[in-house]
Amino acid sequence: MHPVTRRSFLATGSAGALAVAGAATIGGPLASVAAADTADELSPAEAAALSGPTMLQVLDPTKGEVEILVDERSIVFTDKTLVARVLRATR
Amino acid sequence: MSSHREAPGILKDPCADNTDTYAFVTPNDTVTIITSYIPVQAPAGGPNFYEFADEVLYEIHVDNDGDGKPNVSYQFRFETVNTNPNTFLYNTGPINTLDDADWNRRQTYKLTKVTRRPGRRDRVEVLGRGIPVPPCNIGPRSTPNYEDLAAAAVKTLRTGEKVFCGQRAESFFVDLGSVFDLGTLRPFQDKHLIRMPAGAGVDSIEQVNVHSIVIQVPMADLTRDGRVPRDPMSPNSVVGVWGAASRQKGLSRGSGYRSSAGPWQQVSRLGNPLFNEVIVPLSRKDEWNAVGPDKESRFAQFVARPELAALLPVLYPTVFPNLAAYNKDRADLLAILLTGIPDGVIPGFQNFTGTTQADELRLNMAFPPSANPNRLGLLGGDPDGFPNGRRLTDDVVTIELRAVAGAVLPRVDPSFTADGAASAIEDGTFPPVRQFLDDFPYIGTPYSGFNVPAA
Repeated sequence: MHPVTRRSFLATGSAGALAVAGAATIGGPLASVAAADTADELSPAEAAALSGPTMLQVLDPTKGEVEILVDERSIVFTDKTLVARVLRATR
Repeated sequence: MSSHREAPGILKDPCADNTDTYAFVTPNDTVTIITSYIPVQAPAGGPNFYEFADEVLYEIHVDNDGDGKPNVSYQFRFETVNTNPNTFLYNTGPINTLDDADWNRRQTYKLTKVTRRPGRRDRVEVLGRGIPVPPCNIGPRSTPNYEDLAAAAVKTLRTGEKVFCGQRAESFFVDLGSVFDLGTLRPFQDKHLIRMPAGAGVDSIEQVNVHSIVIQVPMADLTRDGRVPRDPMSPNSVVGVWGAASRQKGLSRGSGYRSSAGPWQQVSRLGNPLFNEVIVPLSRKDEWNAVGPDKESRFAQFVARPELAALLPVLYPTVFPNLAAYNKDRADLLAILLTGIPDGVIPGFQNFTGTTQADELRLNMAFPPSANPNRLGLLGGDPDGFPNGRRLTDDVVTIELRAVAGAVLPRVDPSFTADGAASAIEDGTFPPVRQFLDDFPYIGTPYSGFNVPAA
């Protein structure tokens, strides 16, 4: 499993195509969630390093388990706060 | 069919649907492996003709140590381009060469070889890039001299492999219309539970096309010791082959775009013909397609007690009394399909890969190509044919029908006497030999849309 921080997730989510399966599909709402937290914004260098689609799937909302699909990789991590924010954005 | 549209999931994804896998020994110590996709193509396919999918990872796997996992994999990735954004047409004039300006929709592919050895890092080697796929066979005006176009797409790589990817004539043959009408075999339907006069078989897929991936590789590239096998009784002479197609786990669709991300998830595989088709229950076919042969023990129960063996005596009353009475696991089918046939069952023959149960097309490469191939393969005394690998002309429907009916069971269980019908039943179809070529890529020229159906 690759190390993932909440910062890197939000950066990736705002830069690439993003889908949330299992709970809902999000486009604009999540972008505004990420944008609201300016401390977590990507640096220009980080943004430039991202390429290709990145997809996010909430595997288990109760455990805060999330899977990111990027390149040919799957990255699974747990972040209850993040999952809560994502799912609330679908309302 | 062998594995055409054989599972609920893959029937909705034809570009990734592996229809048949072949592996046979060819001259100069080589093996030719063919995997076909996109089943039952009506030759008149316009305006959008058939093609491989850019988003699919097509693979040919070879297991040379009997663990059900690939030791050598050939990976094919396709790239499709439109050269003329202003036309709705596949071609705007005759396609005379593979770089013809009148050809709008083109494919090329990258071929990568992955070699895996225990305790060592995988070796990944790109064998070729930008290798062309010929156009589909449209008709005499669009694709004149089709054989020349196809021949131009045969490439010999610097590493010794020969490759071809493109449209081909369907090589499998079966009376599909009858066998899935309650197991009818037309030559024997006068003995069916619902009787009709006996008749000749009808090859239901005689004039359709597929898309084939064909690779010819030096035998020594496939064996575990890197040597050309000469001794049929040596374990090093046997490899297991299967084809597989995978898509990335994530797919997103939008207006005018489609993107994929994540690890590859297998959606289709095929080693022995008809395995998923007639062995695995409908409820588990998609699961079977999603896992590798190393997980075959999950499905071994369906080989040990095949549903078809129980159906035959019901559908053909009084014809299979001994089969109906047999109440043990089918050691013959478990060997043929899941482990290979061990030494001692057939004198001078083995294609045993060990005790790990895995559906692989096992090929003992030490048997040279037969001068006079028998369509019944090993069942007909020809060690160069199915289930020792699979040639294009092997009548796998008849071979497997007879095997399931118990024709070879006495070899592993002498207490069993095969019913007379076990060595006689067939679906009444025969190899469409005119669809095969004498040389690489062996599988024949596709039917043209202009000529099929005939005017």
